[in-house]
Amino acid sequence: MNASRDPVASEPYSAELRRLFERPLHAGELDGAYRVYIDEQGVRIALFAELDGAGAAPVIRQLRFQAWGCPHLIAAAEAFCRDFEGQPLAALADFNESGLMQSLDVPVVKTSRILVLVDAVRLLCRTIHESPTFSTGHKPDAP
Amino acid sequence: MSAPLVYLDYAASTPVDKRVVALMSALSVGADTFANASSVHAAGRRAQAIVREAARQLSKCLGTAPERLVWTSGATESNNLAIAGAAHYRATRRTGGKHLITMRTEHKSVTDVFRALEGRGFDVTWLAPGPDGRLATDTLRQALRDDTQLVSLMHVNNETGVIQDIAAIGALCRDAGVLFHVDAAQSLGKLPIELEYLPVDLMSVTAHKVYGPKGIGALYIADRPGCHVEPLLFGGGQQDRLRPGTLPVPLIAGFGAAAAIAELAMEADHAHAQRLSERLWHGIRDLPGVAMTALAELTYPGILSVNIEDVEGESLLLGLEPLCVATGSACNSRDQEPSSVLRALGLDDKRAQSTIRFSFGRATTNADIDLAVQRYRDTVVKLRNLAPERVA
Repeated sequence: MNASRDPVASEPYSAELRRLFERPLHAGELDGAYRVYIDEQGVRIALFAELDGAGAAPVIRQLRFQAWGCPHLIAAAEAFCRDFEGQPLAALADFNESGLMQSLDVPVVKTSRILVLVDAVRLLCRTIHESPTFSTGHKPDAP
Repeated sequence: MSAPLVYLDYAASTPVDKRVVALMSALSVGADTFANASSVHAAGRRAQAIVREAARQLSKCLGTAPERLVWTSGATESNNLAIAGAAHYRATRRTGGKHLITMRTEHKSVTDVFRALEGRGFDVTWLAPGPDGRLATDTLRQALRDDTQLVSLMHVNNETGVIQDIAAIGALCRDAGVLFHVDAAQSLGKLPIELEYLPVDLMSVTAHKVYGPKGIGALYIADRPGCHVEPLLFGGGQQDRLRPGTLPVPLIAGFGAAAAIAELAMEADHAHAQRLSERLWHGIRDLPGVAMTALAELTYPGILSVNIEDVEGESLLLGLEPLCVATGSACNSRDQEPSSVLRALGLDDKRAQSTIRFSFGRATTNADIDLAVQRYRDTVVKLRNLAPERVA
């Protein structure tokens, strides 16, 4: 059956998405942490990261997010922070939208919103690596 | 266990009144009432008598005669029959004119008919409302042409609750010799309607917005020269061939009973809705950036539409659960596009997407409203706390 012709509204949100949206435990700011901000596609997102260690193998100690957007974006940002806290910084390079969209059952029409999160993560990586404090292990100044 | 739902979406549909359910149930299985109302035998005549009684009840609520009503499957079919049927009749049987007028704020069951007619050679003028959501008579007067055949607008807007001045608009149409169709899906049984005195030629109504069953509606057709519609369906002689098909007697009886109950309860229902609307608005009006979509004095109080600055609409709607409310167009709430009705009122896309329509009914309690106030306030605060400061 062609889904677009289904006259009965289906459940628009997965249980996991609802749980993450309802209780975004990683929502908030981190003072003095690395910070990036993106405002595009009608949504806004800020990511904050604190690292442990320096040089070859720093580890992400804490991640926080702020978001203005649909439930899918908020849940995806929460899932990203939950999944990558405690991971090596290098793991961020592998982050993309496909895993999140599958695990949260994000509809294709919302892809552009999730790509904003992907862009924010890439910007965060770049910001960290280009920071003069990164190689020395010092915390950056608050933005 | 999930929280109990709190239903505040009565403009989308209402529960069937228990008295109506009892009547319909009895008629569906009664040995002498289930017959085809077109049959000439005794059982058929009894079914026909039930239909006549329902027509009497509904016509009394509308202030007209029973024989002016045509039963349909609901307001969508009534709107199609009225607009397409009248347009084709006038274009082919009378003047040949093909100019039609409606508003941008109409329900899709009206706008989509006009779009279809545009594709068949009709010329449609789409009028915008004033800032208050109402159609100014001067705006209509300027749009009327010598070849105008029909004006169609809704009595109470399903998204904003704005009430159109159908007496003034109808008088203008009548002076111009133009048919006037009113979609009264949201006003039947809620506002006084006296079709004997109103200059209205065609009026669409439905049962399920007024505690009747889904699947049954009616179209009023005035007894005036030039006021006629071409049928959309063919295949039988029922209802003077205007709308053939076996009459659904239990649904029709349910509609009649629901209309009779609504007529008796109209004053109390209105006062109840007024109290609930004021209670809800007073509970949230101090939130920064919150606004009513339309002025309360111009709206039916059973519908309260509010919008709020810098809160994302879809997240707001999810955060409001277990409240059952509407955003955008209630009949098309899966559509991500901002409501064209709200944009026509001058709301930008984000304001339009943040708009929530609360609508109240007989079973709505003060406790329901207090929960709605709490959920709305909590969700707005949560989403605003979650949002990053704008960075230039």
